[in-house]
Amino acid sequence: MRVDILNALDSNGILKECKASSLKKHIANRLYEVKIPTKKSEKYRYFDIEDFTSKDLEVVSTSKDKFKQQGKSLVIEDGEVVSAPEGVEVEIGEFLDVDNDHFDGLYYLNHLLTQNAIILRVKRDISFNIKHIFNKEEVFLNYRVVIFIDANSFVEIYESIEANSKDSQILSGYDIFLSRDANLKFFKNQTLNENSSLPIFTNYFKVDSNATFKYGTFDFAKSSGLNLFKSELHSNSSFNAMHLLFTTSEIKAGTISEIVHLDKSSKSNQMAKNILTNGSRGIFDALIRVTKAAKYTSAHQNSKAILLDSKSYMASKPQLEIYIDELEASHGSTTGQLDENALFYLRSRGINKAEAVKMLILAFANEAIEFVDNKEIANHIYVDFEKAYYGSSDIECIKTCHECEDMILGS
Amino acid sequence: MSKLEIKNLKAKIGDKEILKGLDLALEEGKVHVIMGPNGAGKSTLSKAIVGHYDINVTDGKIIFKGKDITNEEPEIRALEGLFLSFQHPVEIPGVNNAYFLRTAVNAKRRYEGKEELNAAEFLREMREIAKEIGLKPELLNRSLNVGFSGGEKKRNEVLQMMMLKPDVIILDEIDSGLDIDALKDVSKGINKLRDGKRSFLIITHYSRILDYVKPDYIHILMDGKVVKTAGPELVEKLEKEGYSSFEEK
Ligand SMILES: Nc1ncnc2c1ncn2[C@@H]1O[C@H](COP(=O)(O)OP(=O)(O)OP(=O)(O)O)[C@@H](O)[C@H]1O
Ligand SMILES: [Mg+2]
Repeated sequence: MRVDILNALDSNGILKECKASSLKKHIANRLYEVKIPTKKSEKYRYFDIEDFTSKDLEVVSTSKDKFKQQGKSLVIEDGEVVSAPEGVEVEIGEFLDVDNDHFDGLYYLNHLLTQNAIILRVKRDISFNIKHIFNKEEVFLNYRVVIFIDANSFVEIYESIEANSKDSQILSGYDIFLSRDANLKFFKNQTLNENSSLPIFTNYFKVDSNATFKYGTFDFAKSSGLNLFKSELHSNSSFNAMHLLFTTSEIKAGTISEIVHLDKSSKSNQMAKNILTNGSRGIFDALIRVTKAAKYTSAHQNSKAILLDSKSYMASKPQLEIYIDELEASHGSTTGQLDENALFYLRSRGINKAEAVKMLILAFANEAIEFVDNKEIANHIYVDFEKAYYGSSDIECIKTCHECEDMILGS
Repeated sequence: MSKLEIKNLKAKIGDKEILKGLDLALEEGKVHVIMGPNGAGKSTLSKAIVGHYDINVTDGKIIFKGKDITNEEPEIRALEGLFLSFQHPVEIPGVNNAYFLRTAVNAKRRYEGKEELNAAEFLREMREIAKEIGLKPELLNRSLNVGFSGGEKKRNEVLQMMMLKPDVIILDEIDSGLDIDALKDVSKGINKLRDGKRSFLIITHYSRILDYVKPDYIHILMDGKVVKTAGPELVEKLEKEGYSSFEEK
């Protein structure tokens, strides 16, 4: 289907066109209000969303509910669960309880087209992986993952993507419900090869009272893609996000987000680091809204971009929308070149310019990768970063891996 | 024979001429000292020698070991054996100090056709030198100069100098802001590298360091030129009379 035609329909028409059950009327109503994004949509202004919405492709969704439950990974291949991790309840079923106040039309579209969501219930402390595999060519792959995390659980998720297909588009995302006092670390590694299918992930996170959510996204892609989320913060909860984007070809990629402080004493901290080369475009359009009820909150946001050539462009738009006085808030955005003084210092010690540039870029990225406090996951991310930078990775330990330096120096 | 020769050097920063036809020759194995009032152009000279992007050389020549390096890339000057200890070493977040130093040492070894040092060899030597010059070992594993005290930065410059073993060493106010122990440590490092071949150019405002590092020549730099060159005895006269008596009429 072509999704942009939905903008001409009323909510009944949308339901019908999406072949959605009448139980999803409320979702169709919301899509009718928010609309499928066009190039005029504020948040999608810097992304060629029409490439996504105007193609007439066959919709492919989750249909099977047979899979192996083994190991520590949820593997989703072309929308179908092929294996699920032990220790997590996984069910394929209808999901209706969507966010009624999401900014993104594609979020609602994604739900309307998803007859069967992949629903995970996590009831204990656990660490597992989620891997998406895209193989099918020329389809509109549409599926969603819902994760319920029980109160007091400590959960760590590492998400990665293996995009083998071309000419498809992927619409997916998570609804994550983090119960009271739960603790989630979610690290997303979205590194795509050249000419890969175009993925858009559009998410909703509910962070309940006293819960803590640490969210890191890492994108070293050679193909365009977008990650959108809305994160809702309840009293005393905390949301800490880091986004690292490194692009090496003429693509458009980034983060579009809204963090909403709904209740008092909630904390948010969002940092975006972007390194752009070869005429790429980075996007960071991020709003933090502090509602009237959210007294004594703290909200911090920052975006830094390094442009390595004059053709690259950073569309950075951090925004704070505040309706109260009692809070601590800051935001900022810088875009520039590498620090010339630092570059000179390295060269004055005999390090050639290309190598010195690499060292400074790695240093800039390191600060973001260090956000990942799980060494194994951090290493995966280092390797992908190196591959993106050098074209290959030979983590011959001492040369690149700081952990090993630590070990030797510390001994 | 001179190791480094500067001939009629004129240089601008922006539109402002700072070096105005400066001549200086560093002899093999000797310690030269430059003194001069604030703003005279001492740091500008040292930066011009190592090829800093701020300095626009408009005339004159810099000859290093017989080669004209006036327009050479900074890394080539370094690999050829020039070293400047900066008056204000830059802080570089995210670049590990030891990793940086190993990259530099191995770049030089490769340039000289030698085999790279392996990790263990490198670490042993680095630790040994750090200890010798009183550099706290934890600083080796921190981001380069980030949060280092003034004295720690200077010690770190000396560590680099001792690891890289350059042929001509320029020290821009290496002694400023050092406590007496640090001054002794730094001087020890310098003296250790004095081998009768290496040449030193020490830029300083104080005679204090010269109690520990015995100089061969004193040059006075004023208003972009070397206005006087003499033996160590010149320091005493300077201390008594200040710079005014050297002003060009
Ligand atoms: N980046 C710059 N931009 C503009 N002017 C500069 C710059 N750096 C130095 N200058 C000017 O050049 C002149 C010489 O400065 P330089 O740092 O070489 O002096 P110096 O002899 O090292 O002084 P000090 O003893 O204070 O270190 C001064 O007038 C200074 O203001
Ligand atoms: Mg100076």
